[in-house]
Amino acid sequence: MSNAVTAFTKAADLALAARHEIISMTSTAKASHVASALSVVDILSVLYTGAANISAKNMDGADRDIVILSKGHSAAALYSVLALQGFFPKDWLAQYCNNDAALGGHVTSKGVPGVELSTGSLGHGLPYGLGIAMSRKKSGAKGRVFVVMSDGECDEGTTWESAMIANHHGLDNLVVIVDRNKIQSLTFTEDTLKLEPFADKWIAFGWQTETISGHDYSLLAAGLSQQSGPKCIIADTTKGKGVDFMENSVLWHYKPPSADDVNKAFEQLGENY
Amino acid sequence: MRDTFVKTLLEAAKKDRNIILMTGDLGYGVLDTFEKELPGQFINSGVNEQAMMGMAAGYASTGKRVFVYSIANFPTLRCLEQIRNDVCLMNNPVVVVSVGAGYGYGNQGYTHHALEDIAILRALPNMEVIVPADPAETAQLTLSIIASKRPTYLRLGKSGEPAIHTTAPKVSHGVINEVCPGKSGTLIFAGSVGTVAVAAAKELAGQGLSVAVASMPFVSTIDMSYLKKALAKGPVIVIEEHSYRGGVGAAVLEAVNAANLQGAIGLIAADQNNLSQIGDQNFLRAVNGINVENIIKKFNALVAN
Repeated sequence: MSNAVTAFTKAADLALAARHEIISMTSTAKASHVASALSVVDILSVLYTGAANISAKNMDGADRDIVILSKGHSAAALYSVLALQGFFPKDWLAQYCNNDAALGGHVTSKGVPGVELSTGSLGHGLPYGLGIAMSRKKSGAKGRVFVVMSDGECDEGTTWESAMIANHHGLDNLVVIVDRNKIQSLTFTEDTLKLEPFADKWIAFGWQTETISGHDYSLLAAGLSQQSGPKCIIADTTKGKGVDFMENSVLWHYKPPSADDVNKAFEQLGENY
Repeated sequence: MRDTFVKTLLEAAKKDRNIILMTGDLGYGVLDTFEKELPGQFINSGVNEQAMMGMAAGYASTGKRVFVYSIANFPTLRCLEQIRNDVCLMNNPVVVVSVGAGYGYGNQGYTHHALEDIAILRALPNMEVIVPADPAETAQLTLSIIASKRPTYLRLGKSGEPAIHTTAPKVSHGVINEVCPGKSGTLIFAGSVGTVAVAAAKELAGQGLSVAVASMPFVSTIDMSYLKKALAKGPVIVIEEHSYRGGVGAAVLEAVNAANLQGAIGLIAADQNNLSQIGDQNFLRAVNGINVENIIKKFNALVAN
């Protein structure tokens, strides 16, 4: 890496820094999905501060843990976390969505160190991660696979196809983390296509399932630390978390923050975190 | 063709443990030996082509050569976006294998007819589309696919296809294999429909026209050198068991146009006028325009021009 950085060791510190980056980059790029990124950033921060065995140092290692962000529209969160942890230079973030930039509006893997899979069409990350987990399981290779999904994404049939396959093959190296912010593209999940009883669905499909606050770093880390079969963590989150006027609102699935919004958001982040 | 493919794959997989065979719950009586002999390299995913294809891509990303086997449109159109994003975009070495090309599953109905797959698969970036003519080509192409690391679509017939080549072909990447030589024109075909081309060439010979017959198994990598010589010689008819729209004939026309070659080209492909027509493979080929009579008519019309 061109600019050596000291990786964050505490998820809270990483998430706070990443929230600033997410708000800046979505504003500069006039990009959508700021609230989706704020919703998932705590989960990613926990994964990239030790819950997953992955860092800038071992990112090409054969036995590294694999993290796949299947909700590719929250790319700003993943890019921020990876840049802050030294996977690639932080100044790439300022070029987010620019012509000829490395970082696109949906998660792009080519030329971006640390990104395992290009995503953006929902329902692709879990089957892909399942394939890696199955290959590793069959060959006795080490390393777990973490797939971070959105709750709206669970409308996709591949979710439940994959859930059946993972259970049938006893994949105790596969973890799904659902960012359960309860909002999808047009409105609330329960008004669009009911997911509840959501945990019961995963349990019925044979997954070890826990519902945990998706903004509680220590609970998330504990939930991610052990598994005895395919594991699903339903991370109870707030869309737009950390910026009150973005929280729990469909509008901020799309609206890019203005300069004024950025200032207000930064004031809040400074106070709240 | 399918039996030759599975047999060839099994022998290779015994030596190369990185070869994996996945099926979406199809291949009864066909894949049993592979499963019995190499259970660690065989996965029946269940009836779930979309998850299976994404899974195959992830599996392949760990350094494995994954063959995904199913029939008709199930491993192609049913999971097209998984092939597009997870296989082609990520450039993972997955081989999509479909059995029952064209009207191979004739009387099973249109849901089981693969007539648009070449057009759609060859439009995908990084994808090599391969259509063997007979068991001899299938065996050689299977081995060359294993050796390559590219995303590949292998379009196979069903079973019992006759040998089209009278002498063993020497299959080489991107090369058209001549079945028999001819002086006044060429019938180029892709797949087991070559039997119709051979029959048409015999009829034309009876009319005093010496026509070459050639198999074109590589649809994404076009043999321009062969095409150039063929067009200089006389009319070229491209014969396929697929829709006219975007198929092998269309691929040839695109390549000829891009290379600015001159010459007469005619296409023989499926009319698809009656999607619900029931019948066996030969019947459906014939009623959809893929028959000796049409080939001769088209060839003679091009000669007259």
